[in-house]
Amino acid sequence: MSGQTAIRIDRLGKRFGAGPLVLDDVNLSIETGEFVCLLGASGCGKSTLLNLIAGLDAPTTGSIDVPAEGAAVMFQESALMPWLTARQNVELALRLRGVPRAARRGEALELLDVVNLADASEKRPHELSGGMRQRVALARALAQDRPVLLMDEPFAALDAITRDLLHEELERVWRRTGRTIVFVTHNVREAARLGQRVVLLSSRPGRVAGEWRIAETTGRRIESPEVAALSIEITEQLRKEIRRNAA
Amino acid sequence: MPHDATLLDEREAAARAAAAATGPGRSPEASAHDARDRHDDLRSLEAGLDRLQTSPERAQSAWRRFTTSVLPPILFVVALIAAWQLYVVIAQPRPDIVPGPVDVFNAMLAGWESGRLQLAVLTSLERGVVGFLIAVVVGTPLGLLLAEVKPLRRAIGPIISGLQVLPSVAWVPAAILWFGLTDATVYFVVLMGAVPSIVNGLIAGVEQVPPQLRRVGTVLGANRTRLATLVVLPAALPGYVAGLKQGWAFSWRSLMAAEIIAVGGTIGFGLGSMLQQSRELADIGGVLATVLVILFIGILIELVFFAPLERRMLRRRGLLLGGTR
Ligand SMILES: Nc1ncnc2c1ncn2[C@@H]1O[C@H](COP(=O)(O)OP(=O)(O)O)[C@@H](O)[C@H]1O
Ligand SMILES: [Mg+2]
Repeated sequence: MSGQTAIRIDRLGKRFGAGPLVLDDVNLSIETGEFVCLLGASGCGKSTLLNLIAGLDAPTTGSIDVPAEGAAVMFQESALMPWLTARQNVELALRLRGVPRAARRGEALELLDVVNLADASEKRPHELSGGMRQRVALARALAQDRPVLLMDEPFAALDAITRDLLHEELERVWRRTGRTIVFVTHNVREAARLGQRVVLLSSRPGRVAGEWRIAETTGRRIESPEVAALSIEITEQLRKEIRRNAA
Repeated sequence: MPHDATLLDEREAAARAAAAATGPGRSPEASAHDARDRHDDLRSLEAGLDRLQTSPERAQSAWRRFTTSVLPPILFVVALIAAWQLYVVIAQPRPDIVPGPVDVFNAMLAGWESGRLQLAVLTSLERGVVGFLIAVVVGTPLGLLLAEVKPLRRAIGPIISGLQVLPSVAWVPAAILWFGLTDATVYFVVLMGAVPSIVNGLIAGVEQVPPQLRRVGTVLGANRTRLATLVVLPAALPGYVAGLKQGWAFSWRSLMAAEIIAVGGTIGFGLGSMLQQSRELADIGGVLATVLVILFIGILIELVFFAPLERRMLRRRGLLLGGTR
């Protein structure tokens, strides 16, 4: 891709009130169009970092540069409005973005088609499966039309078969839209399956404890041998980090 | 802008991906074809999984609705009347103390023929509905204000909750002293009964809005007003409707209490006044007939107005489990 920097995180530190340091001296630079997986144990500060990038919270020290247009965010819960249909949920994002009323319907249907949900556009969230709901949430995030897409464990609550399909779907959407994606997960295999780069965060405080670049990202699957090999390598490093806390 | 140019042609993207995947030795066209196939593959796979993981909505048949929710209460009422009639026939109580169903029905008929019943129903219904609507107009903004402005809620919230416990009949003497025997007295008492319920319902509804919905609203770029109108208010609707329903019940009760106590002056002839008049005439048949009419109207409003409203709202949100109502 272009090689421009989309997100630059510089000597970032975060502490909540008088509590312990959650993030300490995090340095990271993410290129435009890059797919980065942020990996770490539960409670290591992944969500905190993502919220800081999203601008939902302010850093204690250091700085974060993000594109002026901002970032779209997707959470573990789909957080769809239960009184709106799938299409209306996407339209809400378009409306808040300032898209004129006449153009909303068509654009929403187009975005739902991107996630293969054109047929379910008139269904309400409770009529959709967990995987479908997350795809609507993805369409809604795409509707924001921001250059950066932040995802906080979006598939963690799904069963393995559905998650596997959504990995493929997300990869396809990424290739098609050229978005910069920061994908947070505590699942090593998921990170090795999806990322062009995997960034490992240590716990207490959260620091960058390792980085892996994956040269060949096409045609990967969760069961691919190269994904398995990388997972083993990353897991080893992760365990080393966790063991440090035992002493 | 990289993201503007974004929707790369699907074909081109697929070709690129496939070329990268298959390496040299195969024509790009063939590879693009492969990628296309893979995409179609994913689509059909996803469609299959979607079908498996959702179940078609089973609408309850009208007949089933009738047998499960309409028939039981009707049967119960019929049984109750039969038991009452049986008691009157067997025990032979004094008819001026325990009248039979037929006596009560005749009293109702007499009221209808003289036109007093229609007049009383119309007067009370009009006051009840108007009073309730005023309560909605007063209670809704007040509830929103208290729900969204925390310091105000801390100060006023407990008092409003307290007012809900206070029987609004307690306001009748004060209202008579302030407004005399006029309609204003009746409306005042109705408002004091209904407004706290509506306010509390709205506050409870807003409190139950899942925090992630607010967060998503913010992420999507909603400012304070749009967050309130597009996210918080619709999300709080179930609590609000529950508050409205209770508000109506309180309106109706307060109205009857006010009409029983405050008779005369320019206060018209409502169901409460009719009840009071029958008591003065020691007409137990008339008293019971009026009680039944008051009860019937309360149930009717609930059935034709609030129940469908509530059911539709809950069904839309998938909150209606089974069909008990
Ligand atoms: N709003 C907050 N106030 C205080 N502490 C917080 C807050 N959010 C997160 N934390 C703390 O920061 C740490 C990291 O949390 P989080 O970023 O949610 O971890 P992760 O997403 O990696 O599981 C945890 O120890 C958590 O208790
Ligand atoms: Mg988290």
